[in-house]
Amino acid sequence: MLDYRKRVGEERPVFRINALQYGYLAIFIIYGIKLFSMQIMSGDFYKDKAKNIARRMTVTPAQRGEIFDRNYNLPMVLNIDSFAVNIIPAEIPDEKKGEVFASLSELLNIGIQQIERKVPKSSYHLYQAIEVVSSVPIDTIARISERIDELPGVAWKSKPVRNYVETGSFSHIIGYVGDITKEELKVMYNRGYASGDVIGKTGIERQYDDILRGKDGNEIKVVDVRGRSISGDEQTIETSPVMGKNLVLTIDRSIQLLAEKALGERMGAVVVTRPSTGEVLAMVSYPYYDPNVFNSTSGGSAYQTLLEDPNKPFLNRAIQSHYPPASTFKVVMTTGILAEKSFPPEKTIDCDGELLYGDRIFRCHIRRPGHGPLNLQEALGESCDVYFWTTGRDFLGVERIVSYAKDFGFGQATGIDLPGEIAGFVPTPQWKERKFHEKWLGGDTMNMSIGQGYTLVTPLQMADMVAMVVNDGVIYQPHILKEIRDPVSGAIIKSAKPVVLHKSDIDSALFETVRENMRYVVKEGTAEFPVNIKSVEIAGKTGTGEVGLADRWHSWFTAFAPYETDVPEERVVVSIIVEASNQWEWWAPYASAIIFQGIFAQQSYEDAVKTLGFQYLMPARERRE
Amino acid sequence: MKANRILEIDLTMVLIVTVLVFFGILFIYSSGVTTSGVLVSSEYRKQIMWGVFGLAIALFVGISDYRRMFDLSGYIYGSMLLILVYTRIFGKVVNGAQSWVGIGTFGIQPSEFAKLSTILYLAHYLASSVLNQDPLKRFLISCGIVFLPVVLILSQPDLGTSLVFFPILMMMTYIAGLPFSYIAFLFLFIAITGFLTILPLWQQFIMRGSYPSLAAFAGPRSVLIFAVAFLGIAIVAVFGYRRYQKRYFHWIGYFSSVIAISMFSSLAARVVLKDYQIMRLIVFLDPNVDPRGSGWNIIQSITAIGSGGLWGKGFLQGTQSHYRFLPQQSTDFIFSIFSEEWGFLGGVTVFTLYAILSLRMVRIMKTTSDPFGAYIATGLSAIFVFHFLVNVGMAMGVMPITGIPLIFMSYGGSSLLSAMTGIGILLSIYMRRFEH
Repeated sequence: MLDYRKRVGEERPVFRINALQYGYLAIFIIYGIKLFSMQIMSGDFYKDKAKNIARRMTVTPAQRGEIFDRNYNLPMVLNIDSFAVNIIPAEIPDEKKGEVFASLSELLNIGIQQIERKVPKSSYHLYQAIEVVSSVPIDTIARISERIDELPGVAWKSKPVRNYVETGSFSHIIGYVGDITKEELKVMYNRGYASGDVIGKTGIERQYDDILRGKDGNEIKVVDVRGRSISGDEQTIETSPVMGKNLVLTIDRSIQLLAEKALGERMGAVVVTRPSTGEVLAMVSYPYYDPNVFNSTSGGSAYQTLLEDPNKPFLNRAIQSHYPPASTFKVVMTTGILAEKSFPPEKTIDCDGELLYGDRIFRCHIRRPGHGPLNLQEALGESCDVYFWTTGRDFLGVERIVSYAKDFGFGQATGIDLPGEIAGFVPTPQWKERKFHEKWLGGDTMNMSIGQGYTLVTPLQMADMVAMVVNDGVIYQPHILKEIRDPVSGAIIKSAKPVVLHKSDIDSALFETVRENMRYVVKEGTAEFPVNIKSVEIAGKTGTGEVGLADRWHSWFTAFAPYETDVPEERVVVSIIVEASNQWEWWAPYASAIIFQGIFAQQSYEDAVKTLGFQYLMPARERRE
Repeated sequence: MKANRILEIDLTMVLIVTVLVFFGILFIYSSGVTTSGVLVSSEYRKQIMWGVFGLAIALFVGISDYRRMFDLSGYIYGSMLLILVYTRIFGKVVNGAQSWVGIGTFGIQPSEFAKLSTILYLAHYLASSVLNQDPLKRFLISCGIVFLPVVLILSQPDLGTSLVFFPILMMMTYIAGLPFSYIAFLFLFIAITGFLTILPLWQQFIMRGSYPSLAAFAGPRSVLIFAVAFLGIAIVAVFGYRRYQKRYFHWIGYFSSVIAISMFSSLAARVVLKDYQIMRLIVFLDPNVDPRGSGWNIIQSITAIGSGGLWGKGFLQGTQSHYRFLPQQSTDFIFSIFSEEWGFLGGVTVFTLYAILSLRMVRIMKTTSDPFGAYIATGLSAIFVFHFLVNVGMAMGVMPITGIPLIFMSYGGSSLLSAMTGIGILLSIYMRRFEH
């Protein structure tokens, strides 16, 4: 028998049930009295109120903040006055809908289908305004307002358009804005966003949307039930909009343009940073797009075309794409060999062009008879694979290589203030076993030692690798935002301070030697031509990444300049990748030379090319001009 | 099976529910009519379907034996928790809360049905745990049964729906004979925690300044000091009570421990909740803080009700509603459009119907053949009365905005079907009141 059956017919707690009963009754009686007082006692008051007046609210949009480059002279983004035309479907009598749509489509010069698509039959009962088209100029609005009596349910509101003055490679940094989507609204609803808001979609526009957007104002007017204003200004409550703040970026417009042209029409990316603070002076990713096309009435199809482009113009390759570091990784290896003292830097290894390991022949990039005997500095200078294979496999070992790669910031996002950054990848033996169920072999260590295999880094991480060498073991977090300024007075509200992203335990004196070896690469090694230029002493490292194509490779160059300086703050890091998908030109070192020449000789791209004598080397497509 | 059992059906209850659903459909229809007299919403048709379907469910549940659910209640409760977890992860987001699960275009709100399954399982527990068992243990387990679904629903986050569980818990434990001081403790705990959590922002945005006496409870540091102090007092009082057996030590311990616990949990709440979430709580309590959003709705609703007068403006004649000043007329503010068009007489009729309904439920509590049925009736009456209290109170401007519907009248399938299932269970209990 179940417990409850024993208690069948048991006495109920009568007192408590009665208490509950009276409690319930009290609620209904009190509410009855309240209803009586509202409807009978004050009924006439409310009747008047309902008959005569009601309040209606209109929104005054806030002006979005402008965006400047580090010199804070000309804005790179402007707001242009413009309007959006709305339809309130339920205010148009059903029999007049066709007529209203037709005259509106004629006035706006758009197809009637576009209106019908925005205002489908299922929305005919709604009193919510539906935006039919935006970016409407003032004279069109004037023509609509002349005929407003024939157009019930049609309204307009001010909706400034974002005009991007600087397009090209600036687009990936600045991003663009658009109407908030349903999905975004679901996530942002709690943060005060509303349907119809304009929101940053990518780049700085998205990252700092809450600073840029300001706060909409509103105007509450007393109107009758048909929406006519029935009171003077004294009854109008107005809340002024708060303008969004202006942003000053660390980007230098002239360096950005220089880098954009130096990369040219080659798929790839350039990052220029100031290692002493982490400021990003330029960030180029090719191909790019023009965000202004989204403002036009055909914005949707332009967006779709860009989205389907196989070259992925929306991808910011500087932070959202990763590549094998190839020989640039030998900078990490050099640091590791010096720090571990595992192999004396002066001792030589004899390179005869190939190395037999297991059942495989590993070939150095110079075939037989090879580089001959090389010490560490010469090995880095000649980018000798045999030297780093041997030291990596026999003297450093995979665990320590992994630990140094991570020390240089590989495999972790830098946390730059742009959305969508990826972390790159540093493999470990455990990872390989988990993923492929295969043991990590000596051959894997050898591959990793020359930056091939599974390691992947973003161009920005590559710049950080050099920054660490330049700063004696410190990486400052890369950032794009320099200052937040008041939109009216221009006063600085907040300015970004350098933040240490990572501090290595490696003896800082040792980086002096690494810099010296990197200088040797440019002075006497693989990059002597074309990087050993007169205007500034450059130190860096080349990289040529295998991608499985017979005659094309990823071309890396990562460097800093000036090599010798009394003011380390003036040093600049340039990191370039030119993807293997381009025609093979070994372009990264050339582009770096042009950028350094431009920065330190304060020349434009054209002058820098001329000074360096590169115009004769220009690929056919540019020389033809 | 007794053939004449069907004659024992509570006809009054069936009639009242039918009338209320019918009123609801009429005014859902009215809410879909524009100023030009054109019907633009088909919500009323769906509600007719739900209503007919609901009555069928009520009668079907009514003729089946509710006591069979005694053994099943644990499973029903467990699967409901799983569905709530599923909703939390995969559910659709509606009005900022992830509260819907959909099968194709057809969606339900599991939290509506969670109320029923929680009542069943709590009734099962209270009925099967013997009265002479340690009452504190019984009370704590009851709290646990109710808090599990509450936490899941709060995380959606659907504050309004989760609130309904507290009257269920308090009423059921009260009728189950648990000490009143426990229930009061729970009530004080919730009230004080809520108050302290919103106090800092409340001072900042509403009072625009602070009273020195309240400022002490606003800073996290001072709250922590107070909390530790009250905890100390409580511990001393417990020892004092053990040692001297004096009654007043008991009460000192009681009040200082409720204050201390509330303070600690308000500190935790301030860490967990972000400012904008606490702001929503404040708007929820005082819509005037947000005159453009919720406050606007309340003003329109009060005007609609007030302007109805004695006789009302007549069916389909309301101005506030048909000119769309009144928001969400078919769901949250169905009572507003109803009172605008049918006036005080209509309003009193509806109040009377709900009052009789709640008295029928109290009658079931007194006459059931077993405590299990009595506890279920208590829980269900708590739901019905609480929904009425909060929804109608909100329309009249005396209760916070919660978005919980007026049962039987508001548009919405999940709410109506779960209510009808509840009515079915009540019918089943009533029919078997003489069977021992």
